[in-house]
Amino acid sequence: MSKPSDLIQGTLDLLILKTISLEPRHGWAIAKRIEQVSNDVFQITQGALYPALHRLEQQGWIRGEWRTSETGREAKLYALTKAGRTQLEKELAQWERLSSAVALVIGMA
Amino acid sequence: MNPRRWYSVIGMRLRAVLQRDRVERDLDKELRFHLQQQIEENVAAGMSPDEARYAAMRRLGGAEQIKEECRDMRRTAYLEDLGKDLRYTLRALRKSPGFAVAIVLSLGLSIGANSAIFSAIDGVLLKPLPYPRADRIARLFFSSNEYPEFSLNPFDFRDLRVRAHSFEALAAFTRGDVQLSGSGEPVRLAAFRVTAGYFQVLGLVPALGRAFEEKEELPGNGRVVVLSNRIWRTQFGAAPDIVGRKITLDLQPFTVVGVMPPGAEHPGNEYHALPYGDSVDAWWPFTFEGDPSQRGSHYVEGIGRLKPGVTPAQAQAELNTLLGEIGHEHGGYGGWHMLVIPLYREIVGPDERMLLVLLGAVGLVLLIACANAANLLLARATARQREIAVRMALGAARARLLRQMLTESLLLALVGGGFGALLAPGGVRALVALLPAGFPRADSIQVNASVFGFTLLVALAAGVLFGLAPAMQSSRVDLQQALREGARGATGSRHHQRLRDALVVAEVGLASVLLVGAGLMLRSFVNLVRMDPGFRPEHVLTASLSLPDTDYKTSAGVAHFYDQLVANLAAAPGVKAAGAGSDLPWTGYDENDGGFTIEGEKPAPGEEFHARYHVATPDYFRALGIPLVRGRFFTEGDRTDAPNALIVNETMARVYWRKRDAVGGRVAFSDNPKEKDWMTVVGVVGDVKDRPDAAGAEPAFWWPMLQVPFAQMSVAVRADSGAAQLANELRREVHRLDPTLAVADVRLMDQIADAGVSTARFAFFLVGLFAGLAITLAAIGTYGVISYSVNQRTHEFGMRMALGAGRRDVLRLVLSQGVRLAMAGVVLGAAGAAILARVLRSLIFEVSPADPLTFAAVVALVLAVAVVACYIPARRATDADPMVALRSE
Repeated sequence: MSKPSDLIQGTLDLLILKTISLEPRHGWAIAKRIEQVSNDVFQITQGALYPALHRLEQQGWIRGEWRTSETGREAKLYALTKAGRTQLEKELAQWERLSSAVALVIGMA
Repeated sequence: MNPRRWYSVIGMRLRAVLQRDRVERDLDKELRFHLQQQIEENVAAGMSPDEARYAAMRRLGGAEQIKEECRDMRRTAYLEDLGKDLRYTLRALRKSPGFAVAIVLSLGLSIGANSAIFSAIDGVLLKPLPYPRADRIARLFFSSNEYPEFSLNPFDFRDLRVRAHSFEALAAFTRGDVQLSGSGEPVRLAAFRVTAGYFQVLGLVPALGRAFEEKEELPGNGRVVVLSNRIWRTQFGAAPDIVGRKITLDLQPFTVVGVMPPGAEHPGNEYHALPYGDSVDAWWPFTFEGDPSQRGSHYVEGIGRLKPGVTPAQAQAELNTLLGEIGHEHGGYGGWHMLVIPLYREIVGPDERMLLVLLGAVGLVLLIACANAANLLLARATARQREIAVRMALGAARARLLRQMLTESLLLALVGGGFGALLAPGGVRALVALLPAGFPRADSIQVNASVFGFTLLVALAAGVLFGLAPAMQSSRVDLQQALREGARGATGSRHHQRLRDALVVAEVGLASVLLVGAGLMLRSFVNLVRMDPGFRPEHVLTASLSLPDTDYKTSAGVAHFYDQLVANLAAAPGVKAAGAGSDLPWTGYDENDGGFTIEGEKPAPGEEFHARYHVATPDYFRALGIPLVRGRFFTEGDRTDAPNALIVNETMARVYWRKRDAVGGRVAFSDNPKEKDWMTVVGVVGDVKDRPDAAGAEPAFWWPMLQVPFAQMSVAVRADSGAAQLANELRREVHRLDPTLAVADVRLMDQIADAGVSTARFAFFLVGLFAGLAITLAAIGTYGVISYSVNQRTHEFGMRMALGAGRRDVLRLVLSQGVRLAMAGVVLGAAGAAILARVLRSLIFEVSPADPLTFAAVVALVLAVAVVACYIPARRATDADPMVALRSE
């Protein structure tokens, strides 16, 4: 299980933003989704996930709302806000720049 | 950041603070949901329900830790901490209310004083002048080395106005009071004669009607007037149809062409000065009369509005070039040039320094109050050292402790500031009431938002200032030391004691600086009051009269009126002597003449004879108590058919006749006098200075009123006692001769003399008040530190006495500790004062800024205060019980 520090700070934010950009999800679903899509490379612990969610919410990029989930229990669903969508685009662009730069350097060597 | 996001962010934070419980419940629910999901997944994977639960909980990790991290993300911790700090502070303060009250009182008093002085600075120096783009308005003077700010000749002004390009508008003005009659007793209006551009220069637009036009400057066209809003309301009932109406001024019909809006303020003037502000009743045109080739008389004052981008210096350079041309056309103005001064400088210049000195003085008082507060906090911090050490040992962060201690000092400072803000309005009212006569812009001094803003800033700065040092000190405790010492109650570390001593030395030093300032002001004030004014102001009533030239067409008529008036007044019961003169002592100078001839004497090279000139009736000097030194006063015999007579003052006799006796000397007012032009000096009278704080008297002479009658005169009546009761008698006598005359400026000579020293009294009173506050605070500070140290050393004193020291020895020991601190403070303070006192030079009178008496007195006073402040703790030290000390050893 990878520890949260294995994720570059900010990468988790990006993953969360991306994951809820299609539809609102609750914390459990977000973690599950990231694990699935990354073929279990990323294992998101609650200790990392919930502080990150609360931080993003405090910054106004995502908004949590209580809804009744498919299992009939009340769950807090997080959705992107308008500002969050802009932020996601910004972070995606930055990530692409960064990763292609890293790829270049690695390819050179 | 877009505003929508700001809303949600602020909303979040508020919710986090205000609905803390709800947010916490939600977090709990959220984490429980997660756990539930995990359990279900585990069950789905084939675990038993119990197994699934344990595995899920293991996976989740410490729920409390996650919650804490989530709380951190809410970033409300600092607010919660602040609440805790405040509660803690309030609890601590409630436990020692004396401490809190002492700090709040001393801070509040000094912050209130700062706010009051700041409000004066704000109103007088910072608030823009009440004219649009006032920074472009400048005063114009004719200037020489001897007379830096002299009036202009009207025709010179007119030539400059035509030729100069630096100004949008230029105007000349001169005092020209008029008498308004028509209904009831005539009133004298404070009025100015102004050229056409005057209101344009000031940027003032009439509320009704129009301003003056240039054609009204022509002789015969000047019978129009613009009224002030005040006169329009009080004298004409704010009649809306006033424009076009004819009113009677100086018994002549004038047409009202305009009414100014309220707040059309007078920019100040020199000649027959009227105070700044809403002081003018009416304006009427200045008309250029007489021969334009005669340019000897200077009596108009210049003012101009600079074009955008033109500096006063550039304008002055242009005017000087033009003055050179004009001088060339009219015989030269050797030694004279033009001076252009921004209006703001001209108005506040002389008083700026005094206000800044006062601000400096209250600033020092505040610093002392801060040092005092720091000392008290430090003493408490020392007492709390063990508690702090325990908290640090238990893991409290240093920054957290610092913040808690700063919270305490800021809270005290803010309460002190609030108290100061409550005091400020009263302080400002008292300050304005104390202001010397004619203080510029006194009417714009008030407590407003910027004063409260200043108060808040000062309070915050003070809180940080006096809180930081003790907080830094005590958060730097040596844990081991403090915890070990704790066994016997923490003793102040050597470090703390040094800081406390330094604070006391600083307090005493600052107080000494203020005391030196106050001492110099006191000496200066005493010098002024004890100075022989050259006249006797007691029991003298004065008033001023102006005879309209329509009714008094000949000088014989004017002479007859005043001759008759003073004769009638002298005969009234209770009157000792009655006279009239062109002016009164200590009211500045009215007229100065240069270039006359003295028989058998030559002026110093490059200079000319000059003197203040006046007119007096025979009993003018007796009425005012101006002594005769040699020769005689004027008599009824000094009339037009008698030889021309002259009285000079001592300075003129001494400076111009040097070794010879001035009596019998002759003076003429033409370059090549014929026999009939000579005037013979018949008497020498004592000197009277222009103003009480002038360096010395100027040469001056008087013409006999009967030979040179002036239409505008001041009457002085000396009574046996109770001069004020003569006011009605004076009015009755004037109206018996001429019922249409206005009797203006009825004042006691005492009031005039008092106004002359009011600036010195104001400065001394305030600086003295601040110095008194400062030394009291410093004494409290010294007392506190010595008292604290005595408490700490009780054991030591007990031991000393057990070993044979007498009570006197212990007393001396403690006193010498206090005196040493005070000595260090007063030496540093005196050194500082010696440097700072130089800025007072222009504010003090006949005292050197390094006056040894003042410095010696301050040193003695400070040491005496220190001894008194240390005496009580020293007495307590002698009560130390040797037995207790021995037993505890």
